Amino acid sequence: MRPAVPVAPYCSLEMLTEAKAEPQAKTACKPVSEIAFAEALRANQSMVFSLAYHFLRDRGAAEEVAQDVFMQLYRKLDELASPRHVVFWLRKTTSHRCIDYARRRGAQSTIALEETREPSAAQQRGDPLLNRRLRQLLATLAEKPRMVMILRYQEDLTPDEIAELLEMPVRTVKSHLHRSLAILREKIERSIGDIR
Amino acid sequence: MDDLEQQLRNALAHVEQPPTLEAKVFAALARARSTSRPSRFVFWRFEAAAVAAMLLLAAVSWAGHEREIRERAAGEAAKARLQLALKITVTELSKIQQTVRTSSEQE
Repeated sequence: MRPAVPVAPYCSLEMLTEAKAEPQAKTACKPVSEIAFAEALRANQSMVFSLAYHFLRDRGAAEEVAQDVFMQLYRKLDELASPRHVVFWLRKTTSHRCIDYARRRGAQSTIALEETREPSAAQQRGDPLLNRRLRQLLATLAEKPRMVMILRYQEDLTPDEIAELLEMPVRTVKSHLHRSLAILREKIERSIGDIR
Repeated sequence: MDDLEQQLRNALAHVEQPPTLEAKVFAALARARSTSRPSRFVFWRFEAAAVAAMLLLAAVSWAGHEREIRERAAGEAAKARLQLALKITVTELSKIQQTVRTSSEQE
């Protein structure tokens, strides 16, 4: 689990949207539900956006999905008991939204993968070219195996947790992981061979 | 964990969200709130329109009723005139008949 982002003082939605005009108004009032929502948004926006971006490989679409998910969270927040529930709910809703979005978009892939502009990672680790190639290869997987891989390697979730999120049997999750790793290994070895 | 798995973790590290995301979410929420709760001004406008529509309907039906009364009165007047004309005609014819009868008796 990644550490929560430190939280600044909050105020009502109206005041936040008008904060540009009157910056001093930001500290005036703090309704409880909106503070909780703002905290949840700030702590999880990177996770939600990253899930959507790694799955859809389209910055605009990922932002749209993230925005929808947080709008839904605002209506649902009272029913979620703890920050752990919020994170679980966000991962689940984002995963399902992304799969639905990709299915709706269907065969008409909007942008070529080679053309996508990479957003900057918080801390870029490993070989950037290999990372990029891996993300491109990941995008060639079918929707469910792709989401399983992203939840496993972006969010560090266990197969049991992924199964609960995606509402599928654990053995199906393990099978998706096993097969997807084999496909990626084969493709990456082939592309390294092509370079040589 | 093998090398590929570590490489996947590196490739799928969290990316920075667009700086506008938070503001967009709050703006969308504010928009959703303002459209779900109609303002008092909008409510007044709706009421005023309803009252105006009712007044218009009443005026139209009143005008129709007035026209019907006028037409009925005009019809009654025409009927009375016709009856008067027939009465005059009958009287005149009776006079002529009387005159004819008197002259034929004298002959």
